[in-house]
Amino acid sequence: MATASVFVTGDHAPIVELPCTEVFHAVAAQRDRPTVLLVDDEILIVDTLTEILEGAGFSVLPAYDGRTALEKVARCGPDYLLSDVLMPKMNGVELAIAIRKMYPSTRIMLFSGQAGISDILLDGLRQGFEFELIAKPIHPLIVIEHLRGE
Amino acid sequence: MKPETKQTSQDSTSEIAILGFDPGAHLAAILDASDDAIISRDLNGTIVGWDGSAAQMFGYAANEIVGRPIFVLIPQELQGEEDEILRKLRAGDRIDHHETILKKKNGDRFSVSVTISPIRNATGAIVGASEAARDISARAKDDESRFQLAAIVDSADDAIVSKDLNGIVRTWNHGAVRMFGYTTEEMVGQSILRLIPDDLHYEEDEILRKLRAGDRVDHYNTVRMTKNGEPFEVSVTISPIRDASGKVIGASKIARDISDRRRMERLLIQSEKLAATGRMAAAIAHEINNPLESLINLIFLAKKNSPPGGKAHAHLQTAEQEVERIAHIARQTLGYYRDTGLPTEVHLHALIENVLTVYRAKLLASDIAVDTRFNDIQKISVSRGELLQVFSNIITNAIDAMHGGGTLNITTRKIAGPSGDGIQTVIRDSGVGIRREYLEKIFEPFFTTKGNLGTGIGLWIARQLAERRGGQISVASSTENGCSGTSVTIFVPFVAPAPRPSSQNH
Repeated sequence: MATASVFVTGDHAPIVELPCTEVFHAVAAQRDRPTVLLVDDEILIVDTLTEILEGAGFSVLPAYDGRTALEKVARCGPDYLLSDVLMPKMNGVELAIAIRKMYPSTRIMLFSGQAGISDILLDGLRQGFEFELIAKPIHPLIVIEHLRGE
Repeated sequence: MKPETKQTSQDSTSEIAILGFDPGAHLAAILDASDDAIISRDLNGTIVGWDGSAAQMFGYAANEIVGRPIFVLIPQELQGEEDEILRKLRAGDRIDHHETILKKKNGDRFSVSVTISPIRNATGAIVGASEAARDISARAKDDESRFQLAAIVDSADDAIVSKDLNGIVRTWNHGAVRMFGYTTEEMVGQSILRLIPDDLHYEEDEILRKLRAGDRVDHYNTVRMTKNGEPFEVSVTISPIRDASGKVIGASKIARDISDRRRMERLLIQSEKLAATGRMAAAIAHEINNPLESLINLIFLAKKNSPPGGKAHAHLQTAEQEVERIAHIARQTLGYYRDTGLPTEVHLHALIENVLTVYRAKLLASDIAVDTRFNDIQKISVSRGELLQVFSNIITNAIDAMHGGGTLNITTRKIAGPSGDGIQTVIRDSGVGIRREYLEKIFEPFFTTKGNLGTGIGLWIARQLAERRGGQISVASSTENGCSGTSVTIFVPFVAPAPRPSSQNH
């Protein structure tokens, strides 16, 4: 199956063209791997972190913008959302709110290297949504700790 | 002779002109044209002559006043003077420039200077007197306003000084006494150079040159010296003083102490600079944090894929440490926390414990014991990120100060602060301490006592953040052997200051 490419670490090109995320979820569940929707417009961050998280036992759905990310989880919710905040098209808070509404049990974490995102966070807060935020640069082991809830 | 002429010159100028070139009439015309009132009277004090100027000055026409006693013109209380005048006249004496007050027809009094000369007849006997009266009320008013001016000059806060063209001080007001510390006696007659610092003496030459040319020096900012030798900043305005003929004879100098203003200006510039630095930091943060994140991840992956024990693995290990140093600086300085932290209700001790957890490994490795006494029962609304930054920067300093181990004491308690109740946190280390001469500088940006290892902005940022929240931060330190250490006190009031529209965030 074409989905096999998802699990090949280091082989990035096919990832964005995942044919069927349902298969992805099914395989992940089968292997008892928590799924992470990873979103950042910094391609290198997504690619490296995907590889690292995969290596740490997560199944990663990578996306370079919020819209694509939403499409990828249209049918099944991820266990985690790890998303950048300042992104074109749809910012991290908007994405997080959408995910929270679709899948209330998904654990959401935002990360950002930018100053000046308090307005975006405030927007979310006004709508009643508050999300955990971690600062870039952050060591991947700490990201993993956060995901595992340590 | 003048008196005789006067006696016949009560008529208008035009009538005199008809008389042709009679020398007496000619004199009368001159007298009439004079601004002085010319009055003549006999020895009984009866007015016998009255010219046009007198009519103008007193308001009486000649026909109204001639034949009446001179007392009509003298205020009641001054009529005694007349006896003395008559006595002198009878003795043939002249009275020169006697200043007194006379009365007009409408009752107005005015100041006059009178010169009274006896009038003799052909045999030389004194038959009367001519009185030339000059209205000096304008001059008297001048004197009065001069008096007022002097009072104003003396009460001015500014130093107002006059000097001659050789730079010798001629007058010295109270403002100058206050500003420079020299008394009037000490300065009048002395060179103005006494007030000018040695290295600025050339300024005086330039000023004098301008003054001689009749130019003015406006709001010239420079430095002057007090009697104690203390320099201070002044703004001086120097204008030439001219004599009646217009010749420059000296200068008036008004000096204003602008030290306070300049200090405020400097503070303002400083804070503008800091704000600009903050904006720049935020912009750089954007460009640095993301690549750093990628770099950390790449190194992590490369390390994972290189055989442990190999050379590449060791290099990557070092690379990871070096990048972590950059990441640390970026986290500490590039304004991540500054703008992302929304205020939330937290226990300060929870934040501190959070920071201690982060540094647990480092504390253990440095053999530092941690002793905490938390008494902050009440939560406080703060920006978590900002306060984490504050505590983290201070605790890092404490750890760095205790190379050979030690104790880190942290206490929190509620106190009544200067800006209302709040929570005071004291973070004390038993480290090497900060030298006295460095203490006042430690909050300055880019000042560090850690050499290459310090960024010099940890405490600066800590103070910025604390003050932005309406709090205060202070440091006490001792380098004395055996009891050295540093204690940082942070006070955060429960009530945050009203938010100001910040230009820093966007």
